[in-house]
Amino acid sequence: MTDTLQRPYVARPEAVDPVISMVDVGMTYPNGKVALVDVNVSIPEGDFVFLVGPSGAGKSTFIRLLIREQLPTTGRVVVAGRDLSTMRRGQVPSLRRRIGIVFQDFRLLPAKTVYENVAFALEVTGATNGEIRRRVPRLLNLVGLHEHDDHLPAQLSGGEQQRTAIARALVHDPAMLIADEPTGNLDPVTSWDLIQLLIQINAMGTTVLMATHNQEIVNAMRRRVLALEHGTLVRDESSAAYEREY
Amino acid sequence: MRPFRFIAFAVVRAWQGFWRNAMMSLAATSTVVLMLVLLSGLLIVLAGLDSGLHYIESKVGVTARLQDSLPQPQLDTLLADIRALPGVSRADYISPDDALNRLKEFYQEQGQTLDLGGAPISLYASVEISLTDPNFAESVQSALGERPEVERITTRQVDYAKLLSIVGYVRTVGFIALALVGLTVLFMIVNMIRIAVYSRSGEIEIMRLVGASDSFIRWPFILEGILCGVIGAVVTIILVAVAWEPIKPIMVRVFQMPTAVSTDFLAVLSAVILGVGLGVGAVGSWISVRANLSSAT
Ligand SMILES: Nc1ncnc2c1ncn2[C@@H]1O[C@H](COP(=O)(O)OP(=O)(O)OP(=O)(O)O)[C@@H](O)[C@H]1O
Ligand SMILES: [Mg+2]
Repeated sequence: MTDTLQRPYVARPEAVDPVISMVDVGMTYPNGKVALVDVNVSIPEGDFVFLVGPSGAGKSTFIRLLIREQLPTTGRVVVAGRDLSTMRRGQVPSLRRRIGIVFQDFRLLPAKTVYENVAFALEVTGATNGEIRRRVPRLLNLVGLHEHDDHLPAQLSGGEQQRTAIARALVHDPAMLIADEPTGNLDPVTSWDLIQLLIQINAMGTTVLMATHNQEIVNAMRRRVLALEHGTLVRDESSAAYEREY
Repeated sequence: MRPFRFIAFAVVRAWQGFWRNAMMSLAATSTVVLMLVLLSGLLIVLAGLDSGLHYIESKVGVTARLQDSLPQPQLDTLLADIRALPGVSRADYISPDDALNRLKEFYQEQGQTLDLGGAPISLYASVEISLTDPNFAESVQSALGERPEVERITTRQVDYAKLLSIVGYVRTVGFIALALVGLTVLFMIVNMIRIAVYSRSGEIEIMRLVGASDSFIRWPFILEGILCGVIGAVVTIILVAVAWEPIKPIMVRVFQMPTAVSTDFLAVLSAVILGVGLGVGAVGSWISVRANLSSAT
């Protein structure tokens, strides 16, 4: 474990109810691999947060806990006012609708068009055809893909595929958007376009948490940065850079 | 949740899923048909044997051939004694003349006349005994055996016992065979759904991420299995209905099954086929979904 004196650097005022909060969270995988140690984080609604750290630091694990893909071995994770450890399994779907999530590899369905990929997320949660017809074009407009709605993922650039994934993630009007290395497969210019989109979504009130290795972007944005190292939160700083600056 | 949206979604997905891997689905459906045809055949044969059994049961009785020209008082005592035996419901005296008349009637029914060429014939006098239960045949028989008036005793009890054991045998062998075929069918359906789950694994992952409930994820697969069973059942019902016309007279003639029963029987059989087809599809897909679609997260 790293020196406890290094965290947290900036204490954040808890003016707004946190939309995400972790209290003494530890996570050890069944194979004994320790992925997170004593993590305490509070993210208020509307925040824009970068989650950084070297490969294997625990960023994806952090995200898996938030969507309750995994339960913490110790501590409490509270998302949108719900304690995930005591949440019943039947409530997980409604939690997932409060969280939009995108990944480095887009995870689009290859046989479905852009429109169908977005519509699918509504369809499988019981939306009516009317709702689908109303919401999908609006979302495709937002991400700038309304002219590509009949394209298959294979006919799109990486950036366009990731925008499709973002439109799909926003389909239930979630309180937060979580992105695990969304620019990992994109070139620098496309990455910047994508960040602009995330900023825009954040400006509309959605909390954004983005795990990334992209130093340039983190440094340029000067937003809140959570830094993990070997599962420990070593830095929690607002208006920060990718690396420690002191 | 809107129930209609859910049902429409699940049914459409099940239908798509069924045809997505058509070879596999049709193979599974064929085994369902095979099983249900076997089941139908077994039930038809058993129903036939059963009604044959009832027929014989009603005919099982004991016939006692009497000595010639017994004096009337002795005859009356004998009849009274027979009627007093346990298990005897009726005892009728058939005189030699009665017997001759019957013989003539029988020939007439066959469209022939009994031509004795003018020779005098004399038939035996006998007592026909009906039983309340075929199982009394033996005790009645041995009671009669002690009477000097009785010359010979005949009974169809042996036929009855033989048929009873055939029914038991057919039933046992039939259902064992059916159970084995049933296991094969289950295996086919479990496998078909396993492959369906596998081929949709990408979609399932997305469904979980976007907050689809378990019922949206599972029911299409369960319905796909049910669809397989129901299609198999419908095919079988058509096959049986087509085959029924030639089967019906056989049932009536060979097994003495009343025509009225045989028509009702087809309706009952169809319901059984549908129920079993649906059941095996549901059980197979349920097992497969439990095994291949972990409910975790
Ligand atoms: N399912 C798992 N079972 C066991 N160990 C795991 C599992 N997933 C991750 N780990 C381990 O947990 C640690 C943290 O992994 P995690 O994926 O959270 O890192 P990360 O910060 O996302 O890395 P990267 O930047 O490479 O994506 C790593 O040591 C990893 O090997
Ligand atoms: Mg990761």
